Amino acid sequence: MNAAIDIHHIEKSFGRVKALDGLDLSVEPGTVHGFLGPNGAGKSTTIRILLGLLRADAGQARLFGGDPWADAVALHRRLAYVPGDVVLWPNLTGGEAIDLFTRLRGGADPARRDELCQRFDLDPSKKGRTYSKGNRQKVALIAALAADVELLLLDEPTAGLDPLMEAVFQECIREAKESGRTVLLSSHVLAQVEVLADRISIIRQGRIVETGSLTDLRHLTRTTVDAVTDRPADTLAGLPGVHGLEAADGHVRFEVDGDHLAAVVRRLGDLDVHALTVRPPTLEQLLLRHYGDQAVHSGATVAA
Amino acid sequence: MTTTALSRPTTTPRPRGATLAGTGTLLRFMLRRDRFRLPAWTLGLALLMTYFATALDSMVSSPSDLEGLTAFTGSPAGALFGGPGFGFDDLTVERFLAGQYGLYVAIGAGLMGLLTVVRHTRAEERSGRAELVRANAVGRHAQLTAALILTVVMSVVIAVLIGAVMADRGYDTAGSLLFGASVGAVGLAFAGIAAVTVQLSEYPRAASGTAGALLGAAFVLRGLGDMAAVQGSGPSWLSWLSPIGWSQQTAPYVLDRWWPLALSLAFAAAATAVAYTLSGRRDLGAGLLPPRPGPPRAAAWLAGPFTLALRLHRANLIGWSAALIAAGLAYGSFTQPLIDGFADAPDDMVAVMGGRDNMLAGYLGVMALTMALAVAVYAVLAAHLLRTEETDGRTEPVLATGVSRPAWLGGHVAVVAAGVPWLLLVAGLGMGIGTAASTGDAGLAGDVLLGHLAFTPAVWLVLSAAALLYAAVPRWLPVIWVAPAWGLVAGYFAPVLDLPGSLVRLSPFEHIGRYPLERISVVAILVLTLLTGVLTWTAVTVFQRRDVTGGS
Ligand SMILES: Nc1ncnc2c1ncn2[C@@H]1O[C@H](COP(=O)(O)OP(=O)(O)O)[C@@H](O)[C@H]1O
Ligand SMILES: [Mg+2]
Repeated sequence: MNAAIDIHHIEKSFGRVKALDGLDLSVEPGTVHGFLGPNGAGKSTTIRILLGLLRADAGQARLFGGDPWADAVALHRRLAYVPGDVVLWPNLTGGEAIDLFTRLRGGADPARRDELCQRFDLDPSKKGRTYSKGNRQKVALIAALAADVELLLLDEPTAGLDPLMEAVFQECIREAKESGRTVLLSSHVLAQVEVLADRISIIRQGRIVETGSLTDLRHLTRTTVDAVTDRPADTLAGLPGVHGLEAADGHVRFEVDGDHLAAVVRRLGDLDVHALTVRPPTLEQLLLRHYGDQAVHSGATVAA
Repeated sequence: MTTTALSRPTTTPRPRGATLAGTGTLLRFMLRRDRFRLPAWTLGLALLMTYFATALDSMVSSPSDLEGLTAFTGSPAGALFGGPGFGFDDLTVERFLAGQYGLYVAIGAGLMGLLTVVRHTRAEERSGRAELVRANAVGRHAQLTAALILTVVMSVVIAVLIGAVMADRGYDTAGSLLFGASVGAVGLAFAGIAAVTVQLSEYPRAASGTAGALLGAAFVLRGLGDMAAVQGSGPSWLSWLSPIGWSQQTAPYVLDRWWPLALSLAFAAAATAVAYTLSGRRDLGAGLLPPRPGPPRAAAWLAGPFTLALRLHRANLIGWSAALIAAGLAYGSFTQPLIDGFADAPDDMVAVMGGRDNMLAGYLGVMALTMALAVAVYAVLAAHLLRTEETDGRTEPVLATGVSRPAWLGGHVAVVAAGVPWLLLVAGLGMGIGTAASTGDAGLAGDVLLGHLAFTPAVWLVLSAAALLYAAVPRWLPVIWVAPAWGLVAGYFAPVLDLPGSLVRLSPFEHIGRYPLERISVVAILVLTLLTGVLTWTAVTVFQRRDVTGGS
């Protein structure tokens, strides 16, 4: 089957800033693809090129096999987009904006729209200017999820949502996947993408540095473990995949590689654990460890 | 290092000026932000005055030349677009400069005052930057106070510069300083007005729009009053209701009276007091009127790029319709008194308006041009709305749906293009009804209406040029202001400034014909419409080639 999104080596510069520097990305139909990268890495730029809003300087981007710049309108009827920073018309209500967007995309089932408004707890009769960031994001999400489209392009869609609404969002994305839709989900938070994505691509300075399934990427991630044990835990230091172990007064703290987690937890159980805190890996840790410090702070490169 | 910590008082007494804390810092910051804008406004207005003076000097070489000027400027139409004409019976170059061109420099100062206040208050609140600023040790009134001080500084600079420019040309020093001060006073008065309008609405554009409409009203009021004054009958007191009128009533180089400026200062002070009171009653970022809920569903017609554009331009179109019909009625109802004023005028004076038989037609033709220029201003502002849609990030999600770029741009241009004849129709109706009522000749209404509508293609051309600029290089869109500005100069001042015909003909408004004085040129209408079509087509084509930028 053809890829829903297929990007080959695209480049894009804004003046002297090189936003994309030979980016490759491929998304299979019917999958949720996590598009992960720090701020300024080029996620939004990539999505805008896929939408035909920006034109790539070099390389090739394909959406459903078509050219996103030349066939923009025909392709847009098959997708829905949620921008990273949703701006609404100040004097149109949220409900009007939702209806407008779904109609411009070819219409949506009103019952589905109302159901989504309820699930996201959105009052559609408020004027655009009175919504908070999170509520503006809900408006765009509802408009996108209500439409009957094949592909969802979501640019950091949960940045302004509270945890409760993020759970609703995750539910909706799972439903979308069950009904066979393809989702490109960009984020700078690893944990948000991890729970939903079948595959993840990590972008850094305008390039994809890692791509694969979660299991493929396990070797890149490290989980932080804090534990209080009755028996001394120093012995864990010798296990494969354990790093930076510190132990004192029955308190132990260490990091463990994703693909060795199971073995280490089994050994930890034998040590009579009283208290246990496990912190999931973060994107920042990952990038810091594998690509050095500047990856996190400076997204794009400035040409000399 | 440690001494600073030691010298800090243990309990902080509440300072008296707490609501003003940080004003000085903010003012310095505003000056830094405006380091180009401030000299541009102040030097620009002073240069404009120098230009007028130089142009006039080169024209007037003998007393008889001056007499020729009196014929136009002493007339009611001259009063409408100039001033009450103090000392025009014994005209000198400086009296003419202050009495005829001073008005336009004063309008410039008024614009400067209101735009400066809006820029540093409501626009900052709207963008959210004010919230960041106010979270620091900055008092509630600091931002408004700093913006007002900045405007006072700019007004004083303008007053001094213009006074110096005029005195330097050898005109009476006291009169020159008074003239400069009267220009600066208009800046202060409209800073005061803007200080109030920014409290009312959450939107900077609504705040500057309201203040701008009041500037227009001030222009119209003093125009009517000055016309009455020149012909010696009618409501000349109307001039005293206008902040621009107060400045003109100082009569520099003639009566040299300073006291009307006391009215300006008192007005500015009162408006500022109102602004502080209102500002204390509202939340940061909010207007005075609480937001109301709206329809939870979109009307069935709101479904495509054209109807979306219609919805977005609707409020502006309604506002402009109301303003233009009011202005039309006001100027139309002045037609008969104006003709009467000319009954006993000497022949050479009448000739300027098209001869004794054509007085009426001349006035109606000039008014049609005036309304067309006003509608051109609407079209340019509407084109700027397009750009704001894009830079704010609202264009991007629309273009990410099934709406094509030509449909999006075309929808907006079509709505504004349809608004142009509509607004000319409304203005023409007001003017026609006013004229018919004032002269008792109902048949004139049709002529007036036709004269207004005939300018449609000229305004269209300005609109399509704006669309092309936006489509090709959106940053350069403001350049389009040259079109209505040149239309004004070529339309009103070509004979006085002795502009060469080739330059005058650059203005699209000069080809149509000022009906009913002149014939309407069908050829011009066809050519301008054709040009509009070509420019619009180019704009739509070019717009498909460039990147569309998002908000973030
Ligand atoms: N319109 C633009 N003009 C100039 N620079 C831009 C523009 N859009 C993005 N950039 C730059 O390109 C880089 C990538 O930005 P973006 O794609 O928005 O990153 P992300 O969405 O991953 O945070 C950043 O350095 C950003 O500053
Ligand atoms: Mg982004």
